[in-house]
Amino acid sequence: MNLLREVASELLGMFLADARLTGAVLALVLLVAVLLVEAGMAPLLGGTLLLGGCLVILVEAAIREARRRS
Amino acid sequence: MDLISFGVVAPAVAAAFLASLVEVVEAFTIVLAVGTLRGWRPAAAGTLAALAVLGLLVVALGPLLDRVPLHLLQIVIGVLLLLFGMGWLRKAILRAAGVLALHDEEAIFAAEAESLAAEGRGKSNSHDWIAGLAAFKAVLLEGLEVVFIVIAVGAGRSLLWPAALGALAACVAVLAIGIAVHRPLSRVPENTLKFGVGVMLSAFGVFWTGEGLGIDWPGHDFALVVFAAMFLATGLATAGLLRQRSGEIPR
Repeated sequence: MNLLREVASELLGMFLADARLTGAVLALVLLVAVLLVEAGMAPLLGGTLLLGGCLVILVEAAIREARRRS
Repeated sequence: MDLISFGVVAPAVAAAFLASLVEVVEAFTIVLAVGTLRGWRPAAAGTLAALAVLGLLVVALGPLLDRVPLHLLQIVIGVLLLLFGMGWLRKAILRAAGVLALHDEEAIFAAEAESLAAEGRGKSNSHDWIAGLAAFKAVLLEGLEVVFIVIAVGAGRSLLWPAALGALAACVAVLAIGIAVHRPLSRVPENTLKFGVGVMLSAFGVFWTGEGLGIDWPGHDFALVVFAAMFLATGLATAGLLRQRSGEIPR
């Protein structure tokens, strides 16, 4: 059972190491999907938003963690 | 192989190879500790059992993925790659900036040796079992990430075999070097590798997620290279900024 728990925790840790980063990425993908499908946004604009959003989320997550540890 | 397919095959194989290199080095440290302290029989048995479980996972999941509609598969795999890749990249940035300590294989080897000695004390009959289980756990847990990466970078474009071969090449390389030097591979520039893999996985994540959402990327597969360059530049700039703020000496 211990081993199964460790496997489950490893799998969870792979995608949920930083809950805020995970939440932000999921929210971004959902936003882009809604804008593309429901609002008829131009696909290339949606793609730019997806890429730019990911870069912003990454920088924010790194800076936030560095601040927390300082 | 034309240039367009090379544009996606090469990053897939490289990502699988480099990510596996990082994970296999970590697993190798534990297996080496088990083999050195408790003998090579339990180390080999634990390793082979874990590899069999991981192989079964790939064999079981591979055909299942073929049944999922491509767009849905691309979105699911793309989002998982974004979460996993950006998580690796974030950690690599923090390590490069000196905020987090670098991975130390020598220290991990020493800690595992101590743990094996403590667990085996007074229970001589269970030595082999404990040692085998330690090797099994190390290979299984590190291998799970390799399996995910191989499936994730391979599934979107039927590249499972090239990605799996990339991972296998990393296993063979680490094993060959490990047998030759017979000590933890502490000189492997793990954070640099992790940085690179995080960049590639994040780029794949944006690429697959976008394709799944119906975005036709300009330049098609070569958009991956542009995404990777942007993640790399952003990651390096963030690490530099954090290093400057914390007043650390550049590594």
